[in-house]
Amino acid sequence: MANIALDKPRSRKRATSFAASGGRPRSLTASIVIYASVALFALWVLLPVWYLVVSSLITPAQLGIKPFPIVPSSITFDNYWSVLTGDTGSKGFGSTDVGSRLLPAIGQSFFVSSVLVILNLLIAGHAAYGLSRYPFSGSRLFELSIIISRVIPAIAIIGPFFVAFRVMGILNTPWALIISYNVFTLPLAIMILKNYFDQLPREIEEAAKIDGASRMQTLWIIIVPIAKPGLVAAGVLIFLEGWSEFFYSLVLTNQLTVPPLLAGFQSVQQFNWNSLAAATVMSMIPPVVLVIIFQRHVVGALTAGAVK
Amino acid sequence: MFGLKLTAPAGILLAALLLVPTVLTVLYSVHDVPANGRSLGPFVGLENYTIVLSSNVFWRSAWVTSLFSIGFVIFSTLIGLAMAILLNQRFVGRGLARAMLIIPWATPWLVIGILWKWYADGSVGGLNAILLKLGIISDYHDFLSDPNSALALTVVAAVWRQASFAGILLLAGLQTLPDDLNEAASLDGANLWQRFTNITIPWLRPALITVTVLNIIYAFLQFDVIFAMTQGGPGDATQVLSILIYRQLFGVTQIGLGSALAVILGVIALVGGLLTVKILYRAERTHG
Repeated sequence: MANIALDKPRSRKRATSFAASGGRPRSLTASIVIYASVALFALWVLLPVWYLVVSSLITPAQLGIKPFPIVPSSITFDNYWSVLTGDTGSKGFGSTDVGSRLLPAIGQSFFVSSVLVILNLLIAGHAAYGLSRYPFSGSRLFELSIIISRVIPAIAIIGPFFVAFRVMGILNTPWALIISYNVFTLPLAIMILKNYFDQLPREIEEAAKIDGASRMQTLWIIIVPIAKPGLVAAGVLIFLEGWSEFFYSLVLTNQLTVPPLLAGFQSVQQFNWNSLAAATVMSMIPPVVLVIIFQRHVVGALTAGAVK
Repeated sequence: MFGLKLTAPAGILLAALLLVPTVLTVLYSVHDVPANGRSLGPFVGLENYTIVLSSNVFWRSAWVTSLFSIGFVIFSTLIGLAMAILLNQRFVGRGLARAMLIIPWATPWLVIGILWKWYADGSVGGLNAILLKLGIISDYHDFLSDPNSALALTVVAAVWRQASFAGILLLAGLQTLPDDLNEAASLDGANLWQRFTNITIPWLRPALITVTVLNIIYAFLQFDVIFAMTQGGPGDATQVLSILIYRQLFGVTQIGLGSALAVILGVIALVGGLLTVKILYRAERTHG
């Protein structure tokens, strides 16, 4: 009996190696179910995006056709041209203002997000390293309060920010956003980086200590280079947060960055969806490209940042 | 003390940016703050809270928030789980499909709101065109101006993004599941469902707890998608608490009332998150 039982797995294993992809052999039905589900998944993700892209590439006249031309007969880049130059001609929205403000807003979004990345990597990097390697009394409490800070609604703290920034005279400047965004990017960056430092072997630092390097030198000369993947991942996630943020920018500035500008588009009378679609596509390109390039890093960091 | 020195700048910054405004908002909530916000105004105790808690607008909004949150949490988590399991199978084009999974997550929340608002539009929307071609509807329908479907559509839009987030985290969890475990179970005669409930789910439980708790917090604090799609309308059909607070603070500048509401929302998110952690961990313990 025992022999038969032992035999069975072996014969199964052999059959496995013949499967094309090296996995368990799969029945035809299972394959059909899987590919049908993949198709469904692709439609769920891509249909809205496809709708957006097509809308940005057709004329208002084409858009008016019912049903919506899922595969358009012809395409045009006029919408992109008009939102980038503010040259609305006769084909666009009522306000040339909104169109001509897109490029400056993209510039501001890049500026805010980039400064935020540098500041956060510096501040959160030091903090995360300290928490990971030199825990002090109260460091657990600090980590815990960082996690709990996630439940504080932005809307609950925006009032005091508004008042303080008005007094400082920095309302409607990128600095209002660079300062206030720390509320959510700093905790995120600290969690991701602390988790990353926790996984780095301590032996290297001990060797550096024996060689007479100071603790600060060790951090900058030894740790920073080997922690690069973690720093890149944290940087990408911070950039994404800065790029996507809408609420603070809506309240603290006059449509300075891209998201509130896009929202503002919708309340302008006589604008058309084609132009807004073109602007929306452009606002999606930087985050999507960035994330696809750094896919592996980002997913790892996201998992760490969420679980911890 | 070196650790404290390294952490101090972050600690001071967060205290200044998070703690101080939070305390101020709590202070506002027990004062009758003038509309210009220059001073605290007279102390009114818990009056703002009693006004809020006895108003129909608040309870109606809390109800809408609950409906939104229940739909958002359940569907984001379940669809995310289904996508993670699917993308963990072997098939041609899996790498591409996994890259696709990231797109909704990388899209800014506000853009998701704008995208779905127009996708669901009653005259130029793509959703209508698709449903029409499939024969599900016979004529174009303006989903967002219909109080019966507006909330459901904001849920769908928010789920579109958040299911991807859940999918990414759960897929990462599944990838650490050793193949041998499933192989051994199937050799022992466990069918697909048994393997799912006895191996996959227990293995994913920590990740599932994380995802669910985060989804609950995201649900209560959601603002961007609803602001872009309906601004709380039609009527008050999609006026979740965050939208109501926005209107109180910036529409009618009732700073005291708005602050009391904001404190209540924060407490709800905190309690909701903590309760979920507790319930799910207890479930984990009883499951062994």
